[in-house]
Amino acid sequence: MKLNLLRLALKNIQSRRTRSWLTILGVLVGVTAVVALLSIGTGVQEAVLQQFEDIGYDIILVAPANLAAGAARSSTGGYVPGSGAGRAGGGMPSAMPTTQPSAPSTTPGTFSPENLGATTPESETSERQAESVKDAMSSVASPGLDTQLLLTQVPQLIEAGTLGTQIQPVNTSTTSGFLRVSSPSLDFLDSFSSVLGGFKIESGSFFTNTTDNQVIVGARSAETLHLAVGDSISIANIPFTVIGILEPSSQSSEAEESEDGAALSSQSLSQSLGTSGSADLVLRGLTNTDDSLFVLNERATDILAGRARTSVTITRVEAGASISAAKDAINVAIGQQEASGTPISIQEIADEIQGTLSLIETVLASIAAVALIVGGVGLMNTMYTAVLERTREIGILKSVGARDGQVMTLFLVDSGLMGLIGGVLGLFLGSTLSLLGSRLLGPSLGVGSFTPIIDGWLISGVLVFSFVLGALSGVLPAWRASRLNPVEALAAE
Amino acid sequence: MLVLRDVYKTYQMGEAEVRALRGVSMELPPSQFAVIMGHSGSGKSTLMHLAGCLDIPTSGHVEYGDLNLTDLTSRERADFRSSEVGFVFQKYNLVGNLTALENVALPMLLRDSTTKHAQAKAREALDLVGLQDRMTHRPSKLSGGEQQRVAIARALINDPSMILADEPTGNLDTTTGDHILELLQQFTDNDKIVLVVTHNPEIADMADLLVYLRDGEIESQQVKEIAR
Repeated sequence: MKLNLLRLALKNIQSRRTRSWLTILGVLVGVTAVVALLSIGTGVQEAVLQQFEDIGYDIILVAPANLAAGAARSSTGGYVPGSGAGRAGGGMPSAMPTTQPSAPSTTPGTFSPENLGATTPESETSERQAESVKDAMSSVASPGLDTQLLLTQVPQLIEAGTLGTQIQPVNTSTTSGFLRVSSPSLDFLDSFSSVLGGFKIESGSFFTNTTDNQVIVGARSAETLHLAVGDSISIANIPFTVIGILEPSSQSSEAEESEDGAALSSQSLSQSLGTSGSADLVLRGLTNTDDSLFVLNERATDILAGRARTSVTITRVEAGASISAAKDAINVAIGQQEASGTPISIQEIADEIQGTLSLIETVLASIAAVALIVGGVGLMNTMYTAVLERTREIGILKSVGARDGQVMTLFLVDSGLMGLIGGVLGLFLGSTLSLLGSRLLGPSLGVGSFTPIIDGWLISGVLVFSFVLGALSGVLPAWRASRLNPVEALAAE
Repeated sequence: MLVLRDVYKTYQMGEAEVRALRGVSMELPPSQFAVIMGHSGSGKSTLMHLAGCLDIPTSGHVEYGDLNLTDLTSRERADFRSSEVGFVFQKYNLVGNLTALENVALPMLLRDSTTKHAQAKAREALDLVGLQDRMTHRPSKLSGGEQQRVAIARALINDPSMILADEPTGNLDTTTGDHILELLQQFTDNDKIVLVVTHNPEIADMADLLVYLRDGEIESQQVKEIAR
């Protein structure tokens, strides 16, 4: 009997083809929006979490306190975008090098904090970037932690390394300006090179000693500065020799086509997610190797010390040891070393970002749900109209023995089927859109390409929900149909 | 045996009260071809609806065999219509998006029958009314006479004990109407009650029982011998 009713409902949908399709379209739009937004949202979350997994949840970073507060300051900082002072470097804090690069405003190919790594220098993003660069420059030099000592102080730690960062005036034979100089320690490169995308040398060699002034150049910096292995370069007026050039980072190659450019990817990710200062800067510092120069930390400490230098110490906790206990021990060790800094676990950063992502996903899904409800209202309207139009048919069905429940079921199956068809089509369309969307959105979200997650739960959830939405929209009209007096229904024209 | 005892039916039409039936009593044994005549608004269609359990009286009783139809629930009334009653209407009342075969099979499909069994029975019924060649046609592709024959086939499919026809020839030409009436009359041979509501005096000539209604009351009742 149920099968017979299903057949009858299908016939009804077919006989009102145009209106049925328009109704289905209403549901389809809502389901498409829900599927696309949920699958993209989940996909982005997975991709971001994968990045953290690649770094490792057994890692604790120690960010200097002034760095952790940097982003908070950047929103209230005194930098005026485009002002002469900002561009010429006037009014810079005392930590700035005393020797300015020669004629930066007239030399062709000048690079400056405003366009560091940015391919859209006029954009708001580049202004924000300039602000954070300025913040980094104004931060007080931090000596960082003694990692060897730290390993003995905190027994849970098995590896530790330091990554220093500073903005320095850089001169080559053809151009001059400011660039970020990263200074990983040897133990950092030994244990945590994955954090720097593997630190793979494309040409030239790795650092050969800690006494010569050797620099390894990020892929895009080498391109911008027209540097080759063996070239000379001056950092803070100290001569260095380029001994290696890095492979472009995976993010860079994935994001090459994006308008914002790879250099901004991790930054725009953390900015668009609104993460707080520490996670923001740490992420940005760790993930971008393309626009940096690399000098060994051991060398930089000797010759570039005191020049607006900040260091992040990165440590790995022994397998099975408690992360929070290790964090507490690190805090004690920081005090003992009379250094400053705040330990942050990768898990904390991941949780922070995941929390924000979940919130965004919920908001987007709620908006999509509104579209779905509108579709449901459209369906209800169609069903009410159908009851009016089919009043006589309801009378006929009752005269040949249909029970009230059967009439009701017939209408419910009818509206449920339209919901289900809208759900199936919306699932396909939403999946297609999210696959397309992931290619466009991935680079600008800073997660490279990501795969939208369309799993069994989403598919079955959408199908069940769309059928239930359809059926629920049909409940009132169907109930009304079932209660019709057969004599009056038969008299309807 | 169909029995009506002192049946009243009052409709509320907005503010106005319409008293469609006023104290109607009659008895209708099996194998009878009963005809109810009367002017428009005399209550004859209402009487047919009450007999077929499509409606319930305001007061009085409608009984069928041991069943008091007045006391049945909505579901029981539906089941009674399904098993005991076959309706034939002036406007045929076929479902427009179903073929002739599907229309005829519909009452069986509503009673848990398999599609195969229902369609086999529907073919037999359509064969009986001479429409074996028109089974796959929709109502809109059939003539008035053909549609009415489909309606009769549908009325027969569950082998009811009572056929109730409301102006079955009202929309048909004389020849076609005569064929339909002959068809209906045949069913009285199988112990069925056939009750026809009509204006057509020619049908009256065929009646075993002829009832005249006027303003909701029985004006006269004639049994076969008198009518002929």
